[in-house]
Amino acid sequence: MTAAPDGAPQEHPSWLWRNPDPKPSYDVVIIGAGGHGLATAYYLAAEHGITNVAVVERGWLAGGNMARNTTIIRSNYLWDASAGIYEHSLKLWEGLAEALDYDILFSQRGVLNLAHTLQDVREGIRRVNANRLNGIDAEWLDPQQVADVCPIVDISPDTRYPVLGATYQPRGGIAKHDHVAWAFARAADAMGVDLVQNCEVTGIDVDRGRVAGLRTSRGPITAGKVALCAAGHSSVLAGMAGLRLPIQSHPLQALVSELLEPVHPCVVMSNAVHVYVSQAHKGELVMGAGVDAYISYAQRGSVHTIERQMSAALELFPIFARAHVLRTWAGIVDVSPDASPILGLTPVEHLYINCGWGTGGFKATPGAGSVYAHTIASDAPHPLNAPFSLERFTTGALVDEHGAAAVAH
Amino acid sequence: MTAVSARTGMTLRLEPQPGEVIDRNRPLEFTWNGQRFPAYHGDTIVSALAACGERIFSRSFKYHRPRGLLSASFLDPGCTVQVGDEPNVRGAHRRVEPGMVVSAQNVWPSLRYDVKSVNQVVGRFLTAGFYYKTFIKPQRLWPAYERVLRRFSSGGVVAKDSAHGYYDKRYAHPDVVVAGGGPAGMAAAVAAAEAGAAVLLVEEEYELGGHLRWGDAGQLEALRELRAAVAAAPGVEVMTNSVVNGRYDGNWLGIVQRNLPHVVERLVKARAKTLVVAPGLIERPYVFEGNDLPGVMLSTGVRRLVNLHAVKPGQRAVVLSANPEGDAAIDDLARAGVEVAKVVDGRRGPTIQRATGSRGVQAVECADGTVVDCDLLVTAVGWTAPTALLNMAGDRPVYSERAARFLPSLLPDDVLVAGGIAGDGPLEQLTEHARAVGREAAGRAAETARSLCAGIPQIAERRAGPPDPEPAVALPELPVEDHPALFFSGTRGFVDFSEDVTAKDLIAAAEEGYDSIELVKRYTTVTMGPSQGKLETVNAVAVLAAATGRTIAETGTTVWRPPYAPITLGALAGRIFEPVRHSPMQPWHEAAGATPLVAGAWIRPDSYGDPAGEVRAVRSGVGIIDVTPLGKFDLRGPDVPELLNQLYVNKWSRLDVGSVRYGVMCAEDGVVLDDGVTGRLAEDRYILTATSSGAATVQEWIESWLQTERPDWRIHVTPVTTAYASINVAGPRSRELLGRLVEDVDLANEAFPYMRVRVGRIAGVDGCFMWRIGFTGELSYELHVPASHGLRVWEALLERGADLGVRPFGVEAQRILRLEKGHFIVGQDTDGLTQAYGAGLGWAVKLDKPDFAGRTELVWQSRRDDYFRLVGLQPVDGSVVPPEASQIVLGRGIAGRITSSRMSPTLGRSICLGFVAPSLTGPGTQVTVRLPDGGEVAATVMPQHAHFDPEGTRQRG
Amino acid sequence: MLSVPCPWCGPRDETEFSYGGQAHVAHPAEPDALSDHEWSDYLFVRDNPRGPFAERWCHSAGCRRWFNAVRDTVTHSFLAVYRIGDPVPEIS
Repeated sequence: MTAAPDGAPQEHPSWLWRNPDPKPSYDVVIIGAGGHGLATAYYLAAEHGITNVAVVERGWLAGGNMARNTTIIRSNYLWDASAGIYEHSLKLWEGLAEALDYDILFSQRGVLNLAHTLQDVREGIRRVNANRLNGIDAEWLDPQQVADVCPIVDISPDTRYPVLGATYQPRGGIAKHDHVAWAFARAADAMGVDLVQNCEVTGIDVDRGRVAGLRTSRGPITAGKVALCAAGHSSVLAGMAGLRLPIQSHPLQALVSELLEPVHPCVVMSNAVHVYVSQAHKGELVMGAGVDAYISYAQRGSVHTIERQMSAALELFPIFARAHVLRTWAGIVDVSPDASPILGLTPVEHLYINCGWGTGGFKATPGAGSVYAHTIASDAPHPLNAPFSLERFTTGALVDEHGAAAVAH
Repeated sequence: MTAVSARTGMTLRLEPQPGEVIDRNRPLEFTWNGQRFPAYHGDTIVSALAACGERIFSRSFKYHRPRGLLSASFLDPGCTVQVGDEPNVRGAHRRVEPGMVVSAQNVWPSLRYDVKSVNQVVGRFLTAGFYYKTFIKPQRLWPAYERVLRRFSSGGVVAKDSAHGYYDKRYAHPDVVVAGGGPAGMAAAVAAAEAGAAVLLVEEEYELGGHLRWGDAGQLEALRELRAAVAAAPGVEVMTNSVVNGRYDGNWLGIVQRNLPHVVERLVKARAKTLVVAPGLIERPYVFEGNDLPGVMLSTGVRRLVNLHAVKPGQRAVVLSANPEGDAAIDDLARAGVEVAKVVDGRRGPTIQRATGSRGVQAVECADGTVVDCDLLVTAVGWTAPTALLNMAGDRPVYSERAARFLPSLLPDDVLVAGGIAGDGPLEQLTEHARAVGREAAGRAAETARSLCAGIPQIAERRAGPPDPEPAVALPELPVEDHPALFFSGTRGFVDFSEDVTAKDLIAAAEEGYDSIELVKRYTTVTMGPSQGKLETVNAVAVLAAATGRTIAETGTTVWRPPYAPITLGALAGRIFEPVRHSPMQPWHEAAGATPLVAGAWIRPDSYGDPAGEVRAVRSGVGIIDVTPLGKFDLRGPDVPELLNQLYVNKWSRLDVGSVRYGVMCAEDGVVLDDGVTGRLAEDRYILTATSSGAATVQEWIESWLQTERPDWRIHVTPVTTAYASINVAGPRSRELLGRLVEDVDLANEAFPYMRVRVGRIAGVDGCFMWRIGFTGELSYELHVPASHGLRVWEALLERGADLGVRPFGVEAQRILRLEKGHFIVGQDTDGLTQAYGAGLGWAVKLDKPDFAGRTELVWQSRRDDYFRLVGLQPVDGSVVPPEASQIVLGRGIAGRITSSRMSPTLGRSICLGFVAPSLTGPGTQVTVRLPDGGEVAATVMPQHAHFDPEGTRQRG
Repeated sequence: MLSVPCPWCGPRDETEFSYGGQAHVAHPAEPDALSDHEWSDYLFVRDNPRGPFAERWCHSAGCRRWFNAVRDTVTHSFLAVYRIGDPVPEIS
């Protein structure tokens, strides 16, 4: 170590958040203390001065998809609407540790999206061109340039999935998921938001088309506004308010390996072969698999999904054949028909919805939180989430991101 | 390089032990950190090193503390080593081999370097709860942390030039799988087999036997008997050095098998009718200050070392024993010549306070205040039930205060437990119980087999299931014996050795608000290391329970996730079995040096070296292209027109026999799904073609309609894509060429005009059909030849057309030809939002049909004009080819894109297809194309898609 | 790995099947009669229950028959298998 930091880090605070019982009434109740829920609470308090807020959580803080994702952050989506919201999010990521005064291990090590077919190449280049027009740092790399960025990728042409090129976003990267959640939780709590754990919502009361309150395992709560933020469980919750959502809940699996010396410098994703790989600071490989086909709320998937993913991963990274898988798990992702999120108002007055992020919600955590807070506070969508309304499935104004988001984050 | 000789090196090797697994007649040598060491066959890497007096095998993850032997098993946290290019090898499990090159991992700065020196370098980071705990004002410090983190990374090394090794997979369908080959597992397997079940017995270690292997004479005798019974039992397959890694839906088991010669690892995928979980119990470490010093060992570790590997574990020992296993270890130590300086009985109150020493135990301070000099401290404080497979089966084990361990609660019918995980008792009682479990497992498997067969009558008659089970007898209950609850004696000991987490860290986390076990786990990373909590979980729960004033039962445990033992990525990947498809003409293409193109599953010629020349040959003479991948379906029955009318936007009712028609298929959302021509070969026989990449989707779509929406339609569908080799013969001289090969079809324009189909004989091959269509824009015939004759017809065309200058052309030339003609390609020129009108297919859409897939959406689109449209485009500067996917811009916004672009050899200028915003669709409009390099070129919107022969005179000629 | 009980072939590994989503969503008999919302519901909105769910499977690497099943989306157990066109069986 060469440059020692000037001064030892301050000790950790004695507590990070309170563990309050729910009050009988709040201005806003957010359902789901995952990353999005906690971020929404934070921005409601920090940017809109709304602090009489509860985040109710069935289990423990950030124990759902937030604890289960592969932490990839990028903004290189195809359509203007997507680019807008994801780039907004990426800009927030870039100042988030400072804003929240909490380390989130944000590492902008660059994200490669590999192309294996001519179709991938065309889609990749189309996305790069669109990204650049949207002010997003995107590059198209040929196979040799891919190897320059990530020397361990096999770019030889005789593999089953030859690398024909890649899109590259240098500002993309990873962050430590748990820290992100805890950072938002701590900051929200400090401004007076109640984080209520072990509190399962059992009913949503609607009175003459307007949300009135919640019934929970810890008693009824009246609420001026209710904001759903429950990812894979959104359909069940929306059903309590009489809504049917155009989303389906599927298992999404991921895994980590045992620790390896640093060998993988960036994030590599490959939609065509259902793989994404990064190496965390500690040394473990973090890999995501594809979505299992069937609907499930079980937080488990099928091994063949992982087998197929590993088969493709080792074609790209033969170096990892001898690495050991330490742990696999699954989250429940909520997939929308156009692979884009649903974020905005609902037909029930003062009931708001944030769901449909599919496999890619983590990267949107601060961005979604900030525009969702705006939507809740002003009872109208922010320009950045206006295109992602529930209504678009009736008006037909879809934002098809299957190319950029179908599988990978 | 220094060598330690075999004779003098193994200074701690004991006289032969009755149960030893080493072969003293087979000495060998290997290297450890560059130094040669002796060993015997049967030694583990670490037992061989321990026999030579080595005590430190790794440095800990965070604090770089020296670590030695603890459990002397696969789980031993201090014994992870690098073997050649293989990282993270479990040194206390892996058997040593001659010439093996073993080195320590995580040894920065070095294995023997004093930890204080390390602390001087990075001390400030360690004290505050390095890495996982968090800091205030982080952004400024983060770069410094990141550098340190890199130095601290503690994993194994993988190298790019590593040999890949051979990995394998296997499917198995056993009646009963027994996970664990100790006495209970063996007894259960034998009983199940005797009851008629096909049994797979899976054991993690290299031999069956479990704890009997390091037992006394009586236990060794029992072991011999059980092994003999397994060997004699009919239908027991034994897998040693293998682990049942996960239990999934429907008792699907992932088993990692490591005992095969020349196979690194094999993934066995077993669909078991019944699973018997008999993994035994894992000895739990005790948490006290200094509990990670080399020389602190578990009683089972000591017993393994002495009895299996004949290694003296130390010179002078203190033993903390709270159970018979610990008591037995005292006897083993005495027999091994270790002086037992003090025995602390954990059943009678206070235990030990701390162990001290610098690079290993030097003294132990007991709770009664006595200090004993020693180099070995053996603990036997209790057990952890490895309930991972039960968790995966939906069980939530419950904590027994009495037994001081978790016990199974509610198991599904197809999962049973035997041995120590189920309860306690003398060996005879446990094996008797296990036999009953084995019989029950066989009975339930037979029941399952019968119910499976019952659902399929035609199979039940042919194949009898397993024999009838014995009449049901209630499983005997196993007792649960008292065990003192010993978890920790202070807050300074390590709870998780792999992750360097102390009891103090857990208590601090609870105070900060991380008071659920899952939050503590994530915050401190306790139980997230290589053994995934098998050693650590219960201690962590006990510490947290004490810190929060709750009971262990209230605190609960974390969820165990698969895999039970680490598995290589290689074994999960296996070999690549993703097939590729070739046409029958592939040998010819390869011989001709064609450039291959990967198109989905198909490998086909992209070109034969000169795409522009191939284009010119087609335009001026004649060319042939292999289009076998084209999806082809043979449709028969009176209701085929109904189906076509439903699936295509076009009208099909008046398609005469002998005619073909181009059709566009849309999904229900109006988005273009596929296109292709369909021909009517006979009154009730049609051939439908689909794009190569869309063929599978189209087949599912058709079958879905026929089976779920309109089962009343009388239609048979046969996919015939690979039944026919397909060749397109294109160019002004194609008729002339074909005339030389076709015997019974009149090719004259009047007799066989454009958009017609004929059946006939080509080059002596019967049963061919050919249709006159024109993707290239030229006079052309698409020949569909029974596949086995494809190569023959292909060669005949080239041979008989040599004087006409016939040339083969590839996909690239075809792309250029069709672009000149303005034909779009679904998926390239359209995307997931392109509805039919946007693709310029309004002419094909027949909204006056009462219904067809996509109609509702298309009605809606037909009333609007705000959608992007596909247009022909020509750059003003005809020498510039804007790359495909270049954006069309209007002001600062995106107003379209180039979907296809090429230099046209025919026109001598660049040509494109592209999507443009509604305001830009007028012919003659100039648009701005933004090139990937940031430059811009102007392009003109053309009146039609076709750049060449828009009237279509050539293809009709 | 689900074991999917094909009514024609018996139980087979999930990898032999393709998934067809919610069962009993028929193509509307008179699409023109639907309102925008009804059409949007047909096109995009499907049930997504936590618990028993009537869904379609196709034994695509086997008999290639479509069939319906009721499966619990939490336990993954198949509660019933029945033919296309038959009503959803009562699940006790």
